[in-house]
Amino acid sequence: MKAAGILLSVVLLAGAVVSPALSGPIVDWDPAYFWEPGATPISSLPGGQLKIVGTVSAFGGPLTFLNANMPAKEYTFYVYGLTSTGTVPIVPFYVTAYTGGTIEIYEDSTPDAVFDPFPPNANVPSTFIDGTLILSGNMSNFNTQTNTITLHQTGNAEGDIAWTGGSLIALVGNGVGGTCPAIFTGGLTWSPDVLIPGYLFRHDGKIDHECPTPNTPSTWGRIKTLYR
Amino acid sequence: MNRLATRAVFVLFLACAVSVPAARAQSLLFDYVGFDYEDPNLNPAMFGAVGDGYRGLGEVGSLFGPLTSDQTNFQYTYYFDGLTATARTTIGPFIIIDYTNTGTLTIYEDSRSTGTAADYGTNPPSALAPATFVDGTAILVGNLTNFQYIFNTSTNTGSFEADFEAVGGTQIGNFPLNQRKGWTFAGTSGNSVTVPTGYAHQVDGQTFLNPPTLNRTGTWGGIKARYR
Repeated sequence: MKAAGILLSVVLLAGAVVSPALSGPIVDWDPAYFWEPGATPISSLPGGQLKIVGTVSAFGGPLTFLNANMPAKEYTFYVYGLTSTGTVPIVPFYVTAYTGGTIEIYEDSTPDAVFDPFPPNANVPSTFIDGTLILSGNMSNFNTQTNTITLHQTGNAEGDIAWTGGSLIALVGNGVGGTCPAIFTGGLTWSPDVLIPGYLFRHDGKIDHECPTPNTPSTWGRIKTLYR
Repeated sequence: MNRLATRAVFVLFLACAVSVPAARAQSLLFDYVGFDYEDPNLNPAMFGAVGDGYRGLGEVGSLFGPLTSDQTNFQYTYYFDGLTATARTTIGPFIIIDYTNTGTLTIYEDSRSTGTAADYGTNPPSALAPATFVDGTAILVGNLTNFQYIFNTSTNTGSFEADFEAVGGTQIGNFPLNQRKGWTFAGTSGNSVTVPTGYAHQVDGQTFLNPPTLNRTGTWGGIKARYR
């Protein structure tokens, strides 16, 4: 039993230090759009509700077997429940942190998602949340960063995801009964040239599968001690 | 003589400059995901130190018209090259890095069956990177100007943007002469465990093409008549 424990540790450590040839995201989208009633790219009031809809363009890692470009299916996601804590200006930069948040990813065999202007409306988010829920999770540490100095009005957004459900949750497991954490990340633009009326940001982003999780450097002696 | 000179100036002006920007939306040209690093890296403790070279490489998951692609049989990769940090400004936790020289963003097409699969490896430049990202056929070469990188050292995330102009590659002929300019942007993050050792950040970006500049058709007679 003790040997099995040591063996498990060795296997985990050996696996953890392998650097994959291509470290692609598990979900990549193009595009996603944000909206938040009452907000501007440089101002979000405390309590503001940020929502996001997007269409998935590619899958990787444990979700590689899903084909996001098959005409018969579409993969979409919806983020809701992000509550603004208010924008903090660091002129010319503006950082807005959000609490809470839920992300849901759907597989739909009746492709119909459409970014109609001025959400919420008859098609947004409804056409992004039909079909089968394949992954859902809780978000945390979500924030947006904007500014008034970039020529093309660009910034970024990022948050953490803890997977909690969906038909494919087993595929994002960490091998020891839990799930691997994930990061929602990417660039933002509020350039009117690429924005749809009624939305706050266009987002080009992805979800990174944070497995293996970081390791603490150790010695064989310390590892053996753990199982003695 | 004076009148003749005036006419000549007007004719020249009309021939060259009657192009007016169209009010049509910009179109997505390609979407890319990868990692960035610095080479030369004059100050490894400081990202974007003046004199540092910025480089990025990765996969191009989606390409759109006028580019043509075949993701089934070819792998598409990108490479940022030729950018040197010329100014670094700190505002609170933010740093603004400007690259005033012209860089390039090149897309390569490499056979999945007979080519070399892209491999990030570690600690670029290495035998693997950028070599495995710049093999194959350069289908599009674009010049990058006004490249600016903004990074929040507190959140460890940021973004960059630049003006883009298609200037070469085997598919340059697909681009009408009046539609070769656009811009690119990306979100960047140093928070993911998927960032291979030796790279600075993950990158998720897009490049847009401006709408074609429109020309008014006319005859020499019509132009002459205007100035008689």
